[in-house]
Amino acid sequence: MKRSVKSLAALMLASSILAAPVLAHAGGVLRLDEVAVGEIDPAKASDYADSILMFNLYDTLVLPKQGEPGHAPHLAKSWEGSGTQYTFTLRDDVKFVSGNLMTADDVVFSLERMKAIGKGLSYLFENVDKVEAIDAHTVKFTLKTAYAPFVASLVRLPVVDKKTVMEHLGDGAGEMKDWGEAWLSKNTAGTGAYKIVSHNPQEETVMEKNPGYFLAVPEAAPNQARLRYGLEAATVRTLISQGQHDVASQWLPPEVIKSLAAEGAQLLTEGGTGAFYVKMNTTKAPLDDVECRLALSNAFDYAAAVKMISITDTVAQGSAATGAIPVGMLGANPADQILKRDMEAAKAHLAKCKTKPEDFNLELSWIAEVPLEERFALLMQANFAELGIKSEIKKLPWALFADQVSKPENTPHISQLFVVSVTGDPDTLLYGMYHSSAAGTWQSPEYLKDETVDKLLDEGRTSADAAAREAAYSALNKRLMEIAPTIYGFDRTSVFAASKRVKAPALSDPSKAFGLDGMGFTFRLMEVAE
Amino acid sequence: MSPIVRILAKRLGTSLLVLAGVSMLIFAIARIIPGDPARIALGPNATAEQVANLRAALHLDESIPVQYGYFLKDLSQGDLGVSLYTNRPVTQDIAQFLPATLELVLVAGLLMVVAGLPLGILSARFRGGVTDNIIRMISLLGVSAPSFVWAVILMLIFAFYLPLFPIAGRISDVYAIAPVTGFLLVDTLIAGNFAAFADASWHIMLPAVALALSGIGQAARLTRANMIETYDRPYIEMARSYGFSERRIANRYAFKPSLIPSLTIIGLDFAAMLGNAFLVEAIFAWPGLSRYGVAVILRKDLNAIVGTVLVISATFLIANIIVDLLIAFINPRIRLSRRAS
Repeated sequence: MKRSVKSLAALMLASSILAAPVLAHAGGVLRLDEVAVGEIDPAKASDYADSILMFNLYDTLVLPKQGEPGHAPHLAKSWEGSGTQYTFTLRDDVKFVSGNLMTADDVVFSLERMKAIGKGLSYLFENVDKVEAIDAHTVKFTLKTAYAPFVASLVRLPVVDKKTVMEHLGDGAGEMKDWGEAWLSKNTAGTGAYKIVSHNPQEETVMEKNPGYFLAVPEAAPNQARLRYGLEAATVRTLISQGQHDVASQWLPPEVIKSLAAEGAQLLTEGGTGAFYVKMNTTKAPLDDVECRLALSNAFDYAAAVKMISITDTVAQGSAATGAIPVGMLGANPADQILKRDMEAAKAHLAKCKTKPEDFNLELSWIAEVPLEERFALLMQANFAELGIKSEIKKLPWALFADQVSKPENTPHISQLFVVSVTGDPDTLLYGMYHSSAAGTWQSPEYLKDETVDKLLDEGRTSADAAAREAAYSALNKRLMEIAPTIYGFDRTSVFAASKRVKAPALSDPSKAFGLDGMGFTFRLMEVAE
Repeated sequence: MSPIVRILAKRLGTSLLVLAGVSMLIFAIARIIPGDPARIALGPNATAEQVANLRAALHLDESIPVQYGYFLKDLSQGDLGVSLYTNRPVTQDIAQFLPATLELVLVAGLLMVVAGLPLGILSARFRGGVTDNIIRMISLLGVSAPSFVWAVILMLIFAFYLPLFPIAGRISDVYAIAPVTGFLLVDTLIAGNFAAFADASWHIMLPAVALALSGIGQAARLTRANMIETYDRPYIEMARSYGFSERRIANRYAFKPSLIPSLTIIGLDFAAMLGNAFLVEAIFAWPGLSRYGVAVILRKDLNAIVGTVLVISATFLIANIIVDLLIAFINPRIRLSRRAS
């Protein structure tokens, strides 16, 4: 017995050494990672990993234009309408991976399924009153109220194969049972340029080119993509250094990205969709006083914050903010009007603040899952101390934070959050943060109640005219600077360390960028050297 | 009834009671800790109405005893509910992730036995000599650093500076092995793919060594201490006076009585490794249950927390039962005293 155990151990050790040369990797394989888990059911997609999967396994009626504002047709050939009515004419040459032809019925089904499941980004379509197939290739949406960013929100409506899903309905009540949830959590029913080979939501999703894709896919695009989940920073660093990984996730600490860059990795970037916001609870003294808030806003060291996230001399995980709206988005200030620390202005506002500096005792919270925020908390503590303001740093796990912000009295004085627009439109970014009807969520710990802000947000949401929207958001940006519910820390940029064998124009060339989180990883537009 | 069967029946009965207690405790604790599971599961963009709907679907609006009743009802049908983290049945997740952890822990346990015990024997046999000192130093190093530190050190040395071993995963991408048991070392052999078996062995080596080092050190130190104590017994003197070789005395007469405490510790270590495996799994991207367990706790995924804790507790109890039976089997005094009583 003992001998056999020893023999087995010896065999394993010997075979493990002998196996070493097998580490050859097939060519044209793109290997990247993200935080777990990967959700392949497009109706539940919500985070970055899910977005990468969705944009490659499924298609949407429209796509954001590359390098410029607006949207281009994709599954739709064209569209018309505004206000509450939109009609889309679909392409007639698109097939799902099953071989079924895509029709208007599939679009109707996809929207109804998303709303019925009620997860992911389904809230974007709550305003849709009715969707109907006019004929096989025409689909009409009727909205409850005018919603200008409706076309933009369609980048989050992936079209699923109704026939295939209906053949795989699982257990559940009603005619539609589980809407195919169980099946679609393991399989895909899309038209995407890639299809699933295998999927383990905690480990890895393997995808390969869909030969029946309706657009031409360059030969150089990866034949296979392997999206790994939950890799540790040390593991990713070692894997990339050894040539066993191609693109690291954006969640690596800046120091690790820096060391990878020093070892020769290229740095890919994606930005323009969100920002780092330091949110002040406007219902809690002393931050219910605009002068006190302005004092803090002016005392914040914006340049130091950007320096803290810099990776190289030219690349950082963010750029200087110019206001509430990130540069590049509708209504943003020009890139050269960056916010700067102004201690004189801070002191002047503090002098008008009803609370004396020595009576301040600010709670500076940071989210436990985002260690970077602790550094910003320390920066703020030092900045505010220069005004004689006392503060206390408080670490909050996300679950606790989400609970606490549901009541203004439990919400900390200061909360730090990274917020992005999931559609690329300012409405998705700002309405949830600043409209008085949206107060009390994780996005809106400011509890802002300002009539002018509400009016401008409603104008931006309902106006059909692009120029009028631009004007509304510019005015909103100005107003949000005046009343300072938030310190606008920096415009966020996602930085990805990648091996040189990868080319990703949408992540390296601003004229090819989509302006939508995750869409830079459209594999058919990437190249991987053999 | 034979003494072994009696011990087994008694241990199984106690284990069931422990499992029932653990289920109640973890069920209540998971619900008391702050954070709304529905809000966390649906993500930051979900509306209040969506959150309320999910809370109702999960019976979170009911009292904890009522929720526990629903849990027991589902459990009786083998249903642990759906994980809000992976959106799949918890039983399916456990079936997928448990074999990876068990395989890792079993190989680490095997290393503990085949390395820890012989090192202890050698150390005791050459007490005070160079071999003893070297082994004691290695053992001390093993127990003094936690597994995740060893994981990082081993990765740096044997995967980064000397790229001899792989860094992540259970098997290279080039192999596609159909899962039969979920244990890749077994499935590759079932498939008759020896290259894949070698590759899987190659992948498991570093994480298993990292996980086992502390246990190896502990087993070696404990075996040494017990054997040294045994060496002072008169029957060892007698064996020496008969002229038996030191090797025979060590392996046959001194080691066997010293094995019982070592075996108890190895059994406990084996079970503890199920929990300790988390950081090792995270560092080597090992898709196991420990990593899953921590992820579901952080996301307050109630069904998955209860399911994972129950499975780990059950494995812990099974390991203890096996150790108890082994000790009863090895030590006739236990069997005989029970028979006499």
